[in-house]
Amino acid sequence: MPAQARSILRLLGFLNLRGISGQIAALVVASFIAIHLIITATFFLLRPDQPNPSGGGHSQLIASIQLLGAAPAAQRPRLIADIARAFPRLGVASLAPGSVAPAAGDPDEPGLRSLHRRLGGNYRLFSLAPGQDAHRIGITLPDGAMISARILPGQWRHWFWGEPWMITLLFVIISLTLLGLWAARALTAPLSSFAKAAESFSLNGAAAPLPERGPEEIRSVARALNRMRERITALIDDRTRLLAAISHDLRTPITRLRLRSEFIEDAVHRTQMLRDLDQMRSMLEAVLSFLRNDGNLEPMTLIDIATTLQLVSDQFADTGCKVAYDGPAHAMVTGRPDDLHRAITNLVENAVRFGAEATIHLETSPRAMTIEVEDNGPGIADARKEMVLEPFVRGDDARNMDEAAGFGLGLSIARAIVVAHGGKLTLNDRQPHGLIVRIELPTQEQHHASSDGGR
Amino acid sequence: MATPPPNILVVEDDRETRALIAKYLRTNACNVTTAADGREMVRAMTDHRVDLLILDVMLPGEDGLSLCRKVRAESQMPIIMLTARGEDVDRILGLEMGADDYLAKPFNPRELLARINAVLRRQAAAQAASAVNGATALNFLGWRIDFRLRELRNPAGARVAMTSAEFDLLRIFCERPGRVLSRESLLDLTQGRNAGSFERSIDVLVSRIRRKIESDPRDATMIKTVRSGGYMFTPTVDAV
Repeated sequence: MPAQARSILRLLGFLNLRGISGQIAALVVASFIAIHLIITATFFLLRPDQPNPSGGGHSQLIASIQLLGAAPAAQRPRLIADIARAFPRLGVASLAPGSVAPAAGDPDEPGLRSLHRRLGGNYRLFSLAPGQDAHRIGITLPDGAMISARILPGQWRHWFWGEPWMITLLFVIISLTLLGLWAARALTAPLSSFAKAAESFSLNGAAAPLPERGPEEIRSVARALNRMRERITALIDDRTRLLAAISHDLRTPITRLRLRSEFIEDAVHRTQMLRDLDQMRSMLEAVLSFLRNDGNLEPMTLIDIATTLQLVSDQFADTGCKVAYDGPAHAMVTGRPDDLHRAITNLVENAVRFGAEATIHLETSPRAMTIEVEDNGPGIADARKEMVLEPFVRGDDARNMDEAAGFGLGLSIARAIVVAHGGKLTLNDRQPHGLIVRIELPTQEQHHASSDGGR
Repeated sequence: MATPPPNILVVEDDRETRALIAKYLRTNACNVTTAADGREMVRAMTDHRVDLLILDVMLPGEDGLSLCRKVRAESQMPIIMLTARGEDVDRILGLEMGADDYLAKPFNPRELLARINAVLRRQAAAQAASAVNGATALNFLGWRIDFRLRELRNPAGARVAMTSAEFDLLRIFCERPGRVLSRESLLDLTQGRNAGSFERSIDVLVSRIRRKIESDPRDATMIKTVRSGGYMFTPTVDAV
């Protein structure tokens, strides 16, 4: 016995119940065993091979035939008469020898076969010639005498298709199928959650690692994915640090150049150099504010956003751009003033770069505040709208690095700032042409809750 | 300018940047002393008369923020902070430590000069000014102007967005309530006449400030236009 137990254990070890293969195999084996047990139980409870004790006609017929078979031939007519009186439904009658020719071979109806089995080998059953009562059969008793009797309709077939055990079997199959589906789902559910997690994996969001549970394979996949995620995050962090370090370090030489350019005698050269340096500076600022880590967030405070929008339009107007503000003189919102200023500035910068003029609209409602920056430029095709919100993507691929172009970070920075305020930024078409960048910010009451939760 | 050239101490660890700032300021009528770190700064301050301190935040040894706090603890000397980090937190920290102004590198040298002039003039004017002298924040009609944080908040407590020039002009008004100020004197007090491209017409600045603080900018009640050619700030101003 110990040797057998060991081999079973080895088999289980081979099957590896912690893995998917083992669990599926175990599921199949368990289903087989369950089906088998249920069928066996049904069989022993219902005994379809045994006469049904309450079966009426069927058992009565068998008993009557056996009684007649055992009785001496002389007493049979009287017995037949008695049986006919007692069980008129069976229609037992004697057949004159030779009046019918027993059909050769055994009857092939399943009902008759089972009746034959229960009567024993000394009895023979045969069908009567056609034309007579279809339910009437002939029986040859052990001593060769023949009688006829009526099989009550429905008595034979019912036990096969209509009896409870068949229904039970169907029920078992259906429930096992459902159980199997459920179990297979439970086994594979982690896989779809992986797919979801991989889909939603973002570099800036600190999403929770995948749960390491379920069958062995799933757990190892989860571990591998989590490790991969850590490596990707570390890689991105390294690059971010590198980029930030480069940008920081570039400030010193640019500062020197900026100072040196003040000593250039030639006014034309000086102006051009100052313009280049300004471009470098604004690109650096864009990179640095894009990379700015979240730990250094400006504190939230109540601000008059309308004055911020006025300020931005004034600042652009001072440099000769056509930027107008259209909205109420005052509008309160809770936010980070410098961040919002930067976001709006970025949007207006884009607007005046691609269009001749820009308008900043502000609309307030009790629940939300909508800021729109509108330009009359060429706009952005629907297919590219989502793309231009990604960092380092510029609205126009053909555009080279002329004085106006930046790194393509403006929109992504603006969106990041708006999202950090619990709002959203969308790009919309302007008629007949142009782009409308719409910022929706939740106002105070709602915003307090979300900012408290986010900190 | 009739005033003697200001003595400016530049504390900056990068040798070339330090030399260039000094050269630029000297060509713009300033006396400049330089220091590479905190220790040299202290020595320079004992050896020379210093009217204004330009302090880099990133310094070897003791950093600029802590030097700023130390200097401020002992004197009212004007301080302009320079930093390679453009972080808002740095700006706020620097201003809270007592710096008068703040510039992020890489900065425009002309803007540095404009800020130097503005800070010096403010200092000179504040010494001659009224009871509000020395206050770090002032109140008028529920509004609050904070010189350290360089911010204006409306009666509801909301921060009002302003440019540096707008803020400086409003500050001049707040420090001189009830006095008629001519455009020329305002220009002198804010940026100095030789402040190049940062010079904005006082009228434009006033109209922009009015739009932000007046309930009806076309019928101004706070910053009134005086017919003889000037402006007057009418509200009562209290030190906080």
